[in-house]
Amino acid sequence: MHAATRQEQKVATRERLVNAAMALFARKGIVQTTTADIAKSIRMSHGIVFLHFPTRDDLVIAVIDEFGRRLAVEFRQAFEQDLGLRAVLHAHLRVLAEFEPFYARLVIEAPLLPPKVRSTLLMLHAAVSQRIFLALERERKAGRARKFERPLLFNTWIGLVHHYLVNRDVFANGDSVIAQQGETLVQHFMMLVKA
Amino acid sequence: MADDKCPSCGSCGMPLEKPEDFALGDVTRAYCRYCTDARGELLPYEQVLETNVRYYVQSQGITSDAATRLAQALLADMPAWRGRH
Repeated sequence: MHAATRQEQKVATRERLVNAAMALFARKGIVQTTTADIAKSIRMSHGIVFLHFPTRDDLVIAVIDEFGRRLAVEFRQAFEQDLGLRAVLHAHLRVLAEFEPFYARLVIEAPLLPPKVRSTLLMLHAAVSQRIFLALERERKAGRARKFERPLLFNTWIGLVHHYLVNRDVFANGDSVIAQQGETLVQHFMMLVKA
Repeated sequence: MADDKCPSCGSCGMPLEKPEDFALGDVTRAYCRYCTDARGELLPYEQVLETNVRYYVQSQGITSDAATRLAQALLADMPAWRGRH
């Protein structure tokens, strides 16, 4: 019983750290935020951060992994139910909207991040690319979409989405750019790939 | 509250969500099906690296040099390859 309680506390502390890190990374920037800032924001001692995350990079990766896990759940549902490319794009946008302030920072700062962190982001992009490509291939076999090379198909979609995210201050009036512009982006992309 | 997050491959970090993601479809295994051979044994580092590099290149069109550098950085911290020289 006692051991279970300690385990629960450990999981809860880790979760608080990840949430606090995500909020601060979004507000202050990933490169600029220190582990001391994160600990201070939730009135935790600095040392506790390192009990859960050996390095700051590990904490950044843990936040990216949260995003990845949500994405995996949404994609699996869209794909298993064979809902088509439009549903896959919407699933992607739904998770981006949930993580929008953090994700936008991640995209802006990506070239400045250590290779290990950047590699984690690229691994996520690879998974998105695969889902979009497989969904497009299904559409293509049904005569509804044209053929595309996989990297350019993904880069066209992600380039569009990232442009709006990076410039979210001018594409949405202080609100979620995905909520405001997402549907337009999906419609535009669907028109581009249409057979 | 239990930690219900799915485990990840100790070699490449891929999330292990379903039994078929694990080596031999066995959920007690530490590695994914892509990092292991037909007997469930972990593949050599070079082969795992190559699979990851190919995954990056094919999905996003980045150069193989960049993909190699980034995949090496990712694998370096995985339990299977930590401390490898």
